[in-house]
Formats: sequence, structure tokens, C-alpha cells
Amino acid sequence: MDQAVLDFKTSRENKEQDTKLWVVASGKGGVGKTFVSTSLGITLSKLGHSVAIVDLDLSGSNVHTVLGLSPSHMNIRHYFEGAKTLQELVIPTPFPHLSYVQGFWDSWTPTDFSYTQIQNLIPELKKLRADYVIVDMGAGALEAHLELFKAADEKFLITTPEPTSIEKTYRFIESFVCHSLKANATPDAYGSMISTLRNHRQRTLAKPFSFRSYLKDASGIHCDFFEALSSTPVRLIVNSSRNQANEELGFSMKSVCNKYYDLGIDYAGSIDYDNAVWQSVRVREHVLVAQPFTPLAGQFLATCKQLIAPEELRAVV
Amino acid sequence: MQATSRYNYYEVLELTANAPQHEVTTAYERARATYSGDNPAIYTIFSEQEARELLVVIEEAYQVLGNKILRTIYDQRLLSGRSSLNDLTYESILEASKQVFPEAKTEKTVPAYQKDDAFEKEVAARTEWDGEFLKKVREYKQITVSKMSEITKINSYYVTAVENMDAGNLPAIVFVRGYVVQIAKALGLDEKKVADSYMKSFKNNLGK
Repeated sequence: MDQAVLDFKTSRENKEQDTKLWVVASGKGGVGKTFVSTSLGITLSKLGHSVAIVDLDLSGSNVHTVLGLSPSHMNIRHYFEGAKTLQELVIPTPFPHLSYVQGFWDSWTPTDFSYTQIQNLIPELKKLRADYVIVDMGAGALEAHLELFKAADEKFLITTPEPTSIEKTYRFIESFVCHSLKANATPDAYGSMISTLRNHRQRTLAKPFSFRSYLKDASGIHCDFFEALSSTPVRLIVNSSRNQANEELGFSMKSVCNKYYDLGIDYAGSIDYDNAVWQSVRVREHVLVAQPFTPLAGQFLATCKQLIAPEELRAVV
Repeated sequence: MQATSRYNYYEVLELTANAPQHEVTTAYERARATYSGDNPAIYTIFSEQEARELLVVIEEAYQVLGNKILRTIYDQRLLSGRSSLNDLTYESILEASKQVFPEAKTEKTVPAYQKDDAFEKEVAARTEWDGEFLKKVREYKQITVSKMSEITKINSYYVTAVENMDAGNLPAIVFVRGYVVQIAKALGLDEKKVADSYMKSFKNNLGK
């Protein structure tokens, strides 16, 4: 092999190493995970990056619907059955640079990921030939979800301004924190932490209680995880924001996470409620494709640009 | 958050130590919006009581950081290591700022008067109070109507009306009682005894 081919191969391999894994999750269903993941995908592809969206919603896939495509029988079931590799299941879309992996669609038996399955899936996702792999997860804090969430380069947590969604978002964060601590804690310390948290939920502890001060005092738990998370923080997105107060909610939730869990999360931004979104799903054309120059598209563009090349945003004074 | 240990004000408002002043205000407004009222963001995490405690700390933090002079003093003491976090209460910082900028002293002393033991005894023994006697005590203590108005913040017009028990020139009865209490306090009298007795005779006059 001559040098040029070798160079090409190494650059290619390096490129594969660079694949970024973005995971979109939420505590509650129906808050717009699929909408956000497809919108992020479309926006990134418009910026010239190759993107693969992977539909991992166990309760039924939706990505194809939101993208306005027909479901394919070449879906992720084949990967879990061992018939195909993940790369073989990548389906191109009419949009430049954008491809996707069809989620479960023709499975009539209940499906679930095992811990090992997800452990094997993570390197496969990272090996996909794309600059960005966006995973659209199902709702709720299942162990497999949390494991994948932990492995992601960018973690998105979607919420709406409704109390139901906010409540479940906190439950997701709690599960995520506990799940991540479990790997770094002795079983005894982990057990006592869980029972302390339970007592607190039932309000039998002497008040005030703070998860943060508890963790600092508890022995047998390594809090390095919190430092590690500050480099790749959970990014909160408030979807269906209808007013200024809804927009401010993201800052409030950030502050609560900081004060209660001592967990620095990032507020990636809010997305305004827009009737065009559900209308476009109904006519099966993605809103960012049908109406590419709306404020909504601008919000996604700003968010994506900020994530790809972070700039410090500061008011000029 | 534990009430016993003190937190860094910057931590409370979630700011960096070099945050410009406008960010302090924004952070404070956000924190206040988060922990007061029924913000859904604290739902299932902080109880109402805990949120109120947090709000107290937030207010205290902003009183210091939101004020340029106090913030400078706080920064200097914190960074130089001269004071530990536990000593840096709002009161201590305020005290320090007074040393830097002493407050101008204002004359608030009541003018001296000639003591008259017989009259003092009469005042102490008095059970029946009316406007006329209030006026007598005021004149004995050398307090003019305008001075009384200045101390009690009651319009001098009403001070005169109270002394004349002139119901036509006074507002509703509840206010009159308030005025009498203020005047009695200024005269160093037992305000409850004076007001009760005064109101009794005031109402009797009304009945006539």
C-alpha cells in the first residue's frame, strides 16, 4: 500500500473515532423527544455534518413518521437478533447528509434491552459512519436508558413546562445520579444512600435535608462523577414554551439541580410552542423542512452552533 | 441547605466571583422567581418551608452583592482570608461599611424641660385622660405642636384637633386611637392607659 492510501485510511479511521453520540431522553412521554432529535439532526445536516438518527424507542418508533417517511422492514430488530450489523441498517433519507435507523416496528413481542445488549450497542453506535449519531430514546429512566445516557457525548433531557413533566424530569435526574454513583460506590454505601433518600421522600428525616451535603459527608461514595459531569453536563431543553415564565423555568430547574443535587446542568434553551409543528407532522413533512426560515428553525440553529463550537455568551457592557 | 453552616454569597446566587453587576441582578431575580411563589420547578424537590429558608439566604446574598460598596468589602474580606465565611454576616459587613462611610449624625434629642415634682405626681396618678390634659403634659415637656408633629409624623392640624377633642376635624375613630397612642408614646406616657381613657371620653363627647 502506498503512503497516500495509508493516509487516507488513517484519516478515515480518525474520523470514525470522532463520531459524536448525542442522546435525547426525557422523564415523561410525549414531551417532544422525537421532534427535538429529528430537528437537531436536520439542523446539523444543514450545517454540513453527516448525521445518523437511531430510533431506540421500545414502545414504538416514530422517527420515520416525523421525517415523513414510510416505515422500513429493515429495522433495528435485525441488529438485536444478530442478523445485521448496525451500519447495514442505516437508511438514507431525502435530506442531504441525513440518514436514520428504523426503530422497532414489526415486533409483536415485548422487547427490552438487557444490560449486556446496551453495553454492546454503545461501541456500535460510535462506529457508525457519521459525524453525529443522535439516539432517540423512549421515555422513562430504565437502566438501559441510563447506561446509554451516561455514555453519550451530549446528553439532552427534554421537558415541557407542565408540573407532570417537571416532576418526572427530576425523577430521571435522580435515577441518573444514583445509577452513576452505583458504579463508584461500595454496596453498603449505596444501600444506605437509597434508604436515606427514601426516608427523605417520606419526610421522616430531620429537616432540612440536602442531597448535596449528604453526599459530601457520606463515605464510600466517590463524588468524582460530579466533576466528570461538569465537562459533559446534562443539557436541559424546555419544549413547548408558551411564555417568558416558561422560558425562565429552565434557569429555575438548573438552580434547583445545583442546590439540591449539587449537579451542574446546562440549560440549552427553550423551544417555543408552535402549531406548525403538529400540523407538519400530520401532513408528514418536517417543520424545519417545510418552513426553514422560522424563529423555531433559528432556535435550533443557535443551539446546534453553540454545541458544536461553544462561544461564551455575554452581554456587552 | 443546612441552616447551621453559612454559604458563600456567590454560591447562593450561583455566580462566579468576577460576575459583572448586571449578572448579579439577573441571577437574583431568577433565584427569587424560583424559590418564591408556586414555581413548578421546585415541585417535589423543596418543601415550602425549605424554599422560604432558601429565599432568606438569597435575599441576604443580594443585599450584599447587589450593593457595590458592600460587595467590595465582602470580596476583600473573603479573598484576603481575614475573615472566615462564618464571620461574614450581613450585619458585620454593614458595620464595616459604616466605618468606611460614617453616617452623618442627626439631632434627635427632645428639648430639656424644667422638672416639676408635683406635676409629675399628678401625671402618674391620673386615670382620666382627655385632650386638655394631653395638651398640658405636652406644654409641660416643652414640646411645641410642630415638634410633636415631627416626632409622631402626625399632621399638626390633627395634633391640635386631638387636643381639642374636635371630632369634626378628625378622621374615623380607629385612626384617632392610633394618633393618641403615638402622642402618648412621644410624651413618655403609658399609651394603653391613656388611649383607653381618652377614647372613652372621646366617644362620650360624640354621643352628646
